[in-house]
Amino acid sequence: MKKMIASVALGVILMGGFLFLQENQQSDLVHGGEAHPPIFQKATSFSVNL
Amino acid sequence: MEIGSFIKLQRVKKGMTQEELAEGIVSMSYLSKIENLRAEASPEVVSMLCTRLGIDLDGDQTITIKEKCEEWFNMLFDASDKNEMIDKYNELNELLAVVRSDSLMLFEIHKIRYFLILGEFDNALEQINSLNELSGNFDNLQMYYWYKFKGNYATTSNEYNQSLRMYNLAEGKISYLNLPDSEIADLYYVISVTHSTLLHTLEAIEYADKAIEIFQKEYNFLRCAQCHIILGISYRRIKMYQKAIKHYNLARHLGELNKNNNVIQLTNQNLGYLYAVMGESKQAIKYYLQAIDDDSVGINERLIAITNLIKEYYKLQNFDKALEIIEQAKVILSQARNSVFYDLYYYIIHSYIHAINGDYEKFTTLVTEDLIPYLKKHKDHANLILFSKMLAKHFEDVGRYKDSVKYYKLANLTFEEVVNL
Repeated sequence: MKKMIASVALGVILMGGFLFLQENQQSDLVHGGEAHPPIFQKATSFSVNL
Repeated sequence: MEIGSFIKLQRVKKGMTQEELAEGIVSMSYLSKIENLRAEASPEVVSMLCTRLGIDLDGDQTITIKEKCEEWFNMLFDASDKNEMIDKYNELNELLAVVRSDSLMLFEIHKIRYFLILGEFDNALEQINSLNELSGNFDNLQMYYWYKFKGNYATTSNEYNQSLRMYNLAEGKISYLNLPDSEIADLYYVISVTHSTLLHTLEAIEYADKAIEIFQKEYNFLRCAQCHIILGISYRRIKMYQKAIKHYNLARHLGELNKNNNVIQLTNQNLGYLYAVMGESKQAIKYYLQAIDDDSVGINERLIAITNLIKEYYKLQNFDKALEIIEQAKVILSQARNSVFYDLYYYIIHSYIHAINGDYEKFTTLVTEDLIPYLKKHKDHANLILFSKMLAKHFEDVGRYKDSVKYYKLANLTFEEVVNL
C-alpha cells in the first residue's frame, strides 16, 4: 500500500515537473507596438507574413 | 555524399524497409552497416541496391544537377518569382528521384526553407522529421543549413528561444566553411531579428551591425534598410531616440531608393510607435495613418499599426475618431482569422469598443477574463502594463479601490519585470 502511495506521489511530482518545463519552454515574446522586418525576403507574386 | 547515406535517404524517401531493399542482395545487418557508413559495399552491391531503388548511377548529369540546385537555392534566398521557384523545384525533385547526385542531401535540407516560404508549415515539419534520422551523417555544410532552416521553422512557430539556439549552432559552423559573405550576413540578420524579438537589445545591435557591414559592401540596400529598422527598434528601447530616428530615416531613404513599400511602411509603423512612447501623439498618428492606408502592408503589421492608432486616439480622448478607426480595424481583423495573433487583436479592439461605449461590465469581463490572462501567458509586457492601468483607473473611478490596487500592482510588477529584462 505504502509503495503504491509512494509511486503515485512520485508520478504526480514527475508530471508536475514536466508541466513546469513545458510552461517554461515558451518563448518570451513582446508584441508591444513595434514591427520587425521579415526573416524571409518576399517573392514577387505572393507574400509571406511572418 | 557517401553512397551509404545516399542509399538510406532514397530508401526512407521511397518508404522501403531495410528488409525489402536487402532481400536477395545482402543481409539486412550488412545493409544497415552500409547505410551507417560502417561497411563499404562493392560496386556490384551498390549497383543492385540502386537498381532496386530505381536510381540511375550515371554520373554525366552530376554537374548540371549541381548548377540547377544552386540556382534553386539562390531563389530561396532572395525575393524570387513564386511560379519559377515551384517549377524549378518540381524539375529537380523528379530528376533527383532517379539520379544519384551529391547535391541530393542539400536539396532535401533546402526543402524545409522552400515549404516555409510557401507557407506549408506542416510539410516543413514533416521534412524536418524525415531528415532527423539522417542528420547524424551530415557534413558541416549540410549541418549549417540544417540548423539554420530548423531555426527558421522555430521562428515561424514563434519559438524564438529555440530558433536562437539553432542559429547559434549554425553560426558555430561558419568557421569550418567557405560560405559566401551574403549568406553569413543573412544569418547575422536573422540572429539580430531573433534577439530583438526576445528583447536582447544589445545583442540585436551587435548582430545588426555585423550584418549591415557586409550588406553595405555588397550594395544590398534593401537588406541594409531592414538592419536599420532593427537598429531603430533597439535604440528606441534603450531610449536613444535621436539615434533611433536617424536609423529609421536611413531605412526609409533606402526603401524609397529601392521603391520598396514594405520597408517604407514598416518604418512608418515603428516611427509612429517611437513618437507614441515619447508622448508626441500627433506625430505618432501621422505615421500610423500612413501605415494602415497601404494595402500592400502585411495584415499583422497593419493590425499592429491600427490598434496603436486606436490607443493614441483613446489617449487623446478623441472617441469619435477612435470609433471610426475601430470600424476599419474590424475589417482588417476579419481578414486575419488564421493569424496566431487574431485573439490578441480581437480582445484589444473589443476592449476599446466597450470602454468607449461605456459598457463597463463587458469591458471588465473581457479584460480580466480574456485579455490579461492572454497577455500574461504570452509575456506581452507592454500591453499588460497598458491594460492593467486602464482597468485599475476604471475601478478607481467607480470606487472599487481594492480591485484598483490589484491592477495597479500588476502594472507595477510587470514594469519591474521589463526593467529587469
